[in-house]
Amino acid sequence: MSRARNTIGTWIGWAFFADLANGLALTFGYMFSRSVTMQYPDKEKWLPYPRYRGHHFLKRDEEGEIKCVACELCARICPCYCIEVVPYEDEKGNRRPAKFEIDTARCLFCGLCEDACPADAIALGQQYEFSSFSSRDLVIGRDNLLTKPGKAATGGGVVAARLNTKKDVLVETNEPQGYNWWRNIRRT
Amino acid sequence: MELIVALGLIIFKVALLIAILLLLPLPLTWVERKIAGHIQQRMGPMRVGWHGLLQPVADGIKLLTKEDHIPADADRFLFKLAPILALAPPFVVFVAVPFGETVSVLGNEITLYVSNLNVALLFVFAVIGLEVYGIIFGGWAANSKYAVLGSLRTCAQMISYEIPMGFAVIGVVMMAQSMSLLDIVRAQADVWNVVYQPVGFFVFFVAGLAEAQRIPFDLAEAEGDLGAGFHTEYSGIRFAFFMASEYAIMLLVSVLVVILFFGGWNGVLLPLPPLVWFVLKVAFFVYLFMWLRFTLPRYRYDQLMAIGWKVLLPLSMANIIITGIAFS
Ligand code: SF4
Ligand code: SF4
Repeated sequence: MSRARNTIGTWIGWAFFADLANGLALTFGYMFSRSVTMQYPDKEKWLPYPRYRGHHFLKRDEEGEIKCVACELCARICPCYCIEVVPYEDEKGNRRPAKFEIDTARCLFCGLCEDACPADAIALGQQYEFSSFSSRDLVIGRDNLLTKPGKAATGGGVVAARLNTKKDVLVETNEPQGYNWWRNIRRT
Repeated sequence: MELIVALGLIIFKVALLIAILLLLPLPLTWVERKIAGHIQQRMGPMRVGWHGLLQPVADGIKLLTKEDHIPADADRFLFKLAPILALAPPFVVFVAVPFGETVSVLGNEITLYVSNLNVALLFVFAVIGLEVYGIIFGGWAANSKYAVLGSLRTCAQMISYEIPMGFAVIGVVMMAQSMSLLDIVRAQADVWNVVYQPVGFFVFFVAGLAEAQRIPFDLAEAEGDLGAGFHTEYSGIRFAFFMASEYAIMLLVSVLVVILFFGGWNGVLLPLPPLVWFVLKVAFFVYLFMWLRFTLPRYRYDQLMAIGWKVLLPLSMANIIITGIAFS
């Protein structure tokens, strides 16, 4: 009985375009809801989570010396053979890398080099914008790797940023922690 | 002397109309993309100018500088003719469309229409019917299966929807006892036609959607199955002509709905100038077109035909009979 009435109700609804009106009301509501667009790269950028595997960086110890002992374990474990280490002995008698090159064009960002390193010298940081016009520029040397940004301390947010196209295309930001972008996705 | 002034005035009006119609698609594309963006929780164009306001200009430059490509096996003459044939009728129709009674400029009363035809409604339908030539020529000349299929669909759709559209306005003509759009608006000074003719309005609006080939009736250019329909092979400025004609028709249908069913420039409640009322109503219908576009899915082809012949046509006929009985 109630089912029959429901069917009739549905038919009457259809006759007066209740379904159409519902749809229009829904899209109208969305029209004035907050947009979920992350305005990258003009105004905002995504700051990755601390566990993110981005561009490699080499660490220094407390005395400011490079931590790497040029054991070449990372070069061995690398599935793409994209690390090249040439050791030398510095004035203190420590084994250090004279040459440390990563070909990021071939790297697959597996993070195995980070896991293999016995001296905790290499890690994959938060930087993810290093596109280039030439694959030659993607071979990153030792001194360059030392200056790359480290792991994100706090991450997983959207921060205000601006596009800098002067030298390379780089999206710069000064803010360490942004708002949680996923909040916008959910409609309450 | 008077003749020259009158002639100059008409030329000026026509030039103004053409300029407005040619330039209006620019802001309309921006508005449409913004509405699309916000309905889908995006921002729409943001990068060119403030909130992407200059985006249409950038698009225009892009379209003008694109290669003007003509397929190798195309019928070159028809291929070049088709965009013009598609663009001209919507422009011609606006000659018969009034935008208001008169305004006084420097003490002179100037009418807000180019001409007050006594068969304006007939003229509108006759000329709009010609638009289908541009589409079928475009589809045929391109010598591409998608284009031919798209133009065939469009022709079938336009012809089957023009019939209920024509029937739907007969109720309005009966009530106003005139075919002049000016008289039809004057007849609605107290009560808008939509009050007496809700069915007529509904049929006219749905048929208008199909006529303008907007979603849910945009089968002619169903991206999913036909590439881009009849203008698949067009590029650059010729493609822009088709786009401009589509926007002009959308505008025309909005204007006609307002004139025929929503009292034209007659206002309610707020004492705004008539022209402002008119523009506001037209803007609302243009918005409705876009709003519907981003709400509804596209109909299947057989559904489209079924709606046209089995729903709209009987409805419009019933509307004529009931109007005839009620107002005789
Ligand atoms: S992340 Fe993986 S592929 Fe890249 S350098 Fe390290 S070990 Fe090699
Ligand atoms: S980075 Fe670590 S694993 Fe690689 S050579 Fe240096 S110390 Fe060894």
